Amino acid sequence: MSAAPGFARRYSAWSLLRARFAGPGYWRPLWSGRRLQPAYDVVIVGAGGHGLATAFHLARDHGIRRIAVLEKRLVGYGNVGRNTTIVRSNYLLPENHYFYEDSLRRWETLSRDLNYNVMYSPRGVVDLALTDDAMPALARRGNAMRLAGIDAELLDLAALERFAPELAPRRKRRFPLAGALLQRRGGTVRHDAVAWGYARAASALGVDIIEDCEVTGVSATGNAADGVETTRGHVKAGRIVFATAGHTGLVGAMLGTPLPIETHLLQAMVSEPIKPLVNSVFVYVSPGHGETYICQSDRGGLVMGGHLDGFPSYTREGTWHRLEDVVQGALELFPCIGGVKILRQWAGTNDMTMDGSPIMDRLRYDNVFVNAGWCYGGFKAIPASGAAFARFVATGTAPDLIRAYRLSRFATGHMLDEPGYGPFPVRL
Amino acid sequence: MTRLTCPFCGPRELCEFEFHKTVPAPGSVDEYARTYLRVADAHLSIEHWQHVGGCRAWLQVQRNPSTGAVLAIDMLAGEPR
Repeated sequence: MSAAPGFARRYSAWSLLRARFAGPGYWRPLWSGRRLQPAYDVVIVGAGGHGLATAFHLARDHGIRRIAVLEKRLVGYGNVGRNTTIVRSNYLLPENHYFYEDSLRRWETLSRDLNYNVMYSPRGVVDLALTDDAMPALARRGNAMRLAGIDAELLDLAALERFAPELAPRRKRRFPLAGALLQRRGGTVRHDAVAWGYARAASALGVDIIEDCEVTGVSATGNAADGVETTRGHVKAGRIVFATAGHTGLVGAMLGTPLPIETHLLQAMVSEPIKPLVNSVFVYVSPGHGETYICQSDRGGLVMGGHLDGFPSYTREGTWHRLEDVVQGALELFPCIGGVKILRQWAGTNDMTMDGSPIMDRLRYDNVFVNAGWCYGGFKAIPASGAAFARFVATGTAPDLIRAYRLSRFATGHMLDEPGYGPFPVRL
Repeated sequence: MTRLTCPFCGPRELCEFEFHKTVPAPGSVDEYARTYLRVADAHLSIEHWQHVGGCRAWLQVQRNPSTGAVLAIDMLAGEPR
């Protein structure tokens, strides 16, 4: 193992000041230089948000020393670097809102916990309603949240105008607004910093992060897995964790256990930077164009996303008509952005489960774990998922927070169907 | 993938078509497997689509989900399952 003292350097105002006068060479890579060892206590497949967070908590909270995170491409190449950076906990079902609230609380202190600024910005998440009939549904969700001790406010037009004057809610529109549900503590987090921060913190605790190392199989003796086959040879492992997001269905196929997962694409895009215009996260479902959510990055770009593309794919190439839908929805909300150019557009592969809720369970072997099925909401779940899943992997018992996310719920009928449209990832 | 070729209407924009579901694995008999489990194959996905913006025919589409290439499109024969 190569020495890498730079990993453990603590960031502070003092260290920044020192860096100012230290000259070149002061800043070191956040993680790198580790070589793949022949054996580990825990091998985690996938260096995305969930994999890195699980590694961090295994090392910090459970004292497991020999951990490797194997990544087919690069740290943060997948969905942790492709999402629209939104964090919130405004779910209806108790199993979900308790879990995501745990996550949101962890987001609030994550920069301190990782000693890395992830730029959590509680700018508010606003779910807009277009008709009076949609308001009771928002009220129901808000009340469910408040009963669980989560902040939620139902806004009528006047209150919405006070909170978000940039929206001009009373302006004459083809589809007038009726009100909104606001979660003030929801907001955005700098997504790349989350991947980097967890990778740095895990690395400092001795976790080996190995990029460019694809896992191609699992080796087993009897009923227990004993290692993984990789493009860099066989690696022995006491426990194996799959956190492979959109490729989890293929992991199931690799292990001979089909999963209730379909992989769909979700697009996102960002505009050229403009002056501050959009101060919160707005979620809007247009009668004509489907869903659009829009916020503004700290750099000034308008970050937008919408509904899934609508059919299984691993290509990471979004369809044109969905991009158009998202942009048209954004234009209905903010007609003034009509002249703004889209800078970049991309897509991520989403592991859509048949009830829209995640799967955190064992898979085929007693010592193989799968953390998947985050659908289009995996980013906001990262801190809670990492902590809870690490506990599951370390102790062998799933904490209460994630017990509802077991795989067997599909067979026993205990689905968590938050979207409410049955065993299909897409219903348009 | 930007368009599909309907057996009746010829090549049309993708937005005219609606994906319905993937076809269960052959031999999956019990209701649980047929309802919830999905075939995960990086190179072949067999799906039911409908040409909702055209002739409204139900179609069986075979695609390569890793490249987006359409391998075959047929009329959906027999009872749709």
